[in-house]
Amino acid sequence: MSVFRKHKSIVDRAASDRFRHKKKIEKAIKESIKDVIAEESIIGQNGTKKIRIPVKGIREYRFVYGNNEKNKSVGSGGDHTIKRGQKIGKQRAEKGQGQGTGKASDKEGDEYYDVEVSLEELAEYLFNDLELPDLEKKRFRFVSHETIKRKGYRFKGIRPRLSKKETLKRKIRRQKMAEKAGTYDPEGDERFPFHKDDLKYHHIKPKVKENSSAVIFFLMDVSGSMSMERKFLARSFFFLLYQFLNHKYDQVEVVFISHSTQAKRVDEDDFFKVGTHGGTIVSSCLDLELDIIQKEYHPNSWNIYSFYCGDGENWTSDNEKCIDLFSQIKDVSQLTGYCEINEHYKGLADEVDPNDPFHGTPWGTFSAWKNEEMENLWSKLNPLCDNKFKKVMVGQPEHIWKAFHSLFGGKSTHE
Amino acid sequence: MSDWTEADLLHWDEKIIRVAEDLGLDWHPIDYEIIDYQEMMGAMAYTGLPTHYRHWSYGKEYERTHTLYNMGQTGLPYEMIINSNPSIAYLMRENALYIHLLTMAHCVGHSDFFKQNRMFAETNPNHVIDTFKAGAKFVRQLIEDPSIGIDKVENILDAAHAIKYQVPRYRGITTPTTTQQVALEREKMENDPTYDGDITKTPLQPEYNVLRFIADHSKHLSDWERHLLLIVEESSQYFIPQALTKVMNEGWACTIHYKIIQELNLPDSLHLPFLKLHNQVVRTHLGQLNPYHLGFKLFEKIIEEEGFDEAMIVREVHNDISFLRFYLDEKFMQDMNYFSYSFKKTKKAITIDDVSDDDGWEKVRDELIRNVGLNRVPIVYVDEVKKDNTLCLVHEHDGRDLDIQYASKVYEHLQTLWGDDVKLVSLVENEVWEF
Repeated sequence: MSVFRKHKSIVDRAASDRFRHKKKIEKAIKESIKDVIAEESIIGQNGTKKIRIPVKGIREYRFVYGNNEKNKSVGSGGDHTIKRGQKIGKQRAEKGQGQGTGKASDKEGDEYYDVEVSLEELAEYLFNDLELPDLEKKRFRFVSHETIKRKGYRFKGIRPRLSKKETLKRKIRRQKMAEKAGTYDPEGDERFPFHKDDLKYHHIKPKVKENSSAVIFFLMDVSGSMSMERKFLARSFFFLLYQFLNHKYDQVEVVFISHSTQAKRVDEDDFFKVGTHGGTIVSSCLDLELDIIQKEYHPNSWNIYSFYCGDGENWTSDNEKCIDLFSQIKDVSQLTGYCEINEHYKGLADEVDPNDPFHGTPWGTFSAWKNEEMENLWSKLNPLCDNKFKKVMVGQPEHIWKAFHSLFGGKSTHE
Repeated sequence: MSDWTEADLLHWDEKIIRVAEDLGLDWHPIDYEIIDYQEMMGAMAYTGLPTHYRHWSYGKEYERTHTLYNMGQTGLPYEMIINSNPSIAYLMRENALYIHLLTMAHCVGHSDFFKQNRMFAETNPNHVIDTFKAGAKFVRQLIEDPSIGIDKVENILDAAHAIKYQVPRYRGITTPTTTQQVALEREKMENDPTYDGDITKTPLQPEYNVLRFIADHSKHLSDWERHLLLIVEESSQYFIPQALTKVMNEGWACTIHYKIIQELNLPDSLHLPFLKLHNQVVRTHLGQLNPYHLGFKLFEKIIEEEGFDEAMIVREVHNDISFLRFYLDEKFMQDMNYFSYSFKKTKKAITIDDVSDDDGWEKVRDELIRNVGLNRVPIVYVDEVKKDNTLCLVHEHDGRDLDIQYASKVYEHLQTLWGDDVKLVSLVENEVWEF
């Protein structure tokens, strides 16, 4: 006779192990996030939508046989028409896992977990160890929200704000006085009741919490030389910037400016979609930015961030003007970033001392510099470089995160 | 919701037991735990054991099952049973009665196999639950110990798990003790002056129990770390017999559940869904090996050709390797249409190597056997510990190369455990590969 037991356990026994596993996955997310930040699916999402990030499973490594000719698999065929040498697939079929106990070890295929995170959580993962260049104290322009603060006591108030402590103190005081006066006998059975006059209420006062505000200028080159790939990199870069600043500030305003030989202020959609045409005059957009700053975003009340993204090609005659305008922008901005998209570039962050991001010169062989019409804007900007003006170069999607780090990584010194 | 009561289970259990006894089976009594699907996933994560030490990999296993289950890609198992006395098996509350009947009959088959098969002779079914309980308690105490904590424990467990199948896999062989080995070597040297023996070598013979060897000989592990390795080793030893007999065990259990249910004279309302489920369990998986199918079909063949009594002997004396060597013949291989395939680097595709025809069936059979149970796990043994305390490990190359990426990660884990230099020798594409 077998025994049948209703299982009594109420404990979720795998809970703590799942928690540890989750921790490991989270770590993996942080590590693999730089692979997904340039994914099309993330860019352009708003803050509430959940993003699915495929995270490679945390593997347990054992000795296993490799996927090679000598390691053959065996299976049963569907019909008898199979022949030697017949092609049956591109990848090794995964081994079927039997049901029941006593599983033999087997190499598992690549497992992916779809982890759902909101953009906000993503920003949390991404940006937590990054620092904004220190904010100068600005006159606050935005009142972002009111908080309520308790302040003192009043005899009148609404029930929910009754202060029990104060009320009780008053009652005790009155009771002691009554004892002294002999009107109340503490030894007796009679209880000493609260009186309406004992009641005291918290007083509250609204408090205005002030917040700093920021405006970001996104300047992008949309000239003929900006191919779809280059624009995609620029777009990813801007998106990340936008998320980052959004994460750090309560209020962020964004101004999009695209330029070829002329600069235009555009809305977000157009900024990323506009076709590529025409030549390049970088100074045009810098002019426009300074104009807009003067009219709408006075540096005294705004934290200004300016980011330029282009392929580094500019008319030689325009370069001097650019340098001048860049330095003007630098003066009014918290941070000015100059990002150059160049697919020939293979890894700036690897080759350049991170503490000295603007003096490395791994770009001698770039095609752009070989064109004598185009002068090297990148190296001309060198004198401007300091904590408030930074240059980065991006060649492939995976550089974006590194570039980002060199823009924001570590604390910059207070000025 | 469910179409059964506990009284139904008791009623059918009695009948199942009677039929099984008439068949001549002898099994441990079975305790069935009736649990819901979440508890089932919990039990599955810990391979059915009611207590088990903590490790994140079991949390991962839970999540994996959970995801697959939610996506509808996998059903939960109909049977899961522990080799203990009494055997512990699980019935999922949400399942219908015919599934329970199949499960219960199937579990009788497993329990009989556990009790009768030679490979399980050295398992200790009376104490297995206590052993795992003690291990779980020890690990819990380490985690709670403020001077140790979960990170250090995981560090050791991760490393130990990397070599958890590097334990001896053949049963019933007593290895001579070190003193006996030294005496043997001495004797050899005296009898044969040309014999070049070395009695100072550690270990004297190749040591296949890498986990235990490291636990015993590492100069850097603390006591709790050694103990932890032995706990992992102990639990591996528990699973080894099951891995050695996966095909037989499932084949036997399917044979038994099929035989029992046929004898029960079930009403059609139970019998038809049972048949459907049974056929699902023992169906072929295209391009894969289904141990349920292979084992069931082979036992069917044995019973047809040599009778049930012969099958009873087979379930006692064989393991998967000998079972398949003995009973896979050309006709069977052809009927089941087994073929072997591999990934060709030059073609960047998987192509079929051999099919089960006159010329190929033996090769396919040999490949099949190499793909069963522990034959899929490379053998690595301790060759010697050098004077400078370098641990030298050798991979017993059988034609199949190691996955180098995996092997190098395991190598890192070995360094963690050993503390001094580790050397691992293997062959990759016919060249000596040394880590």
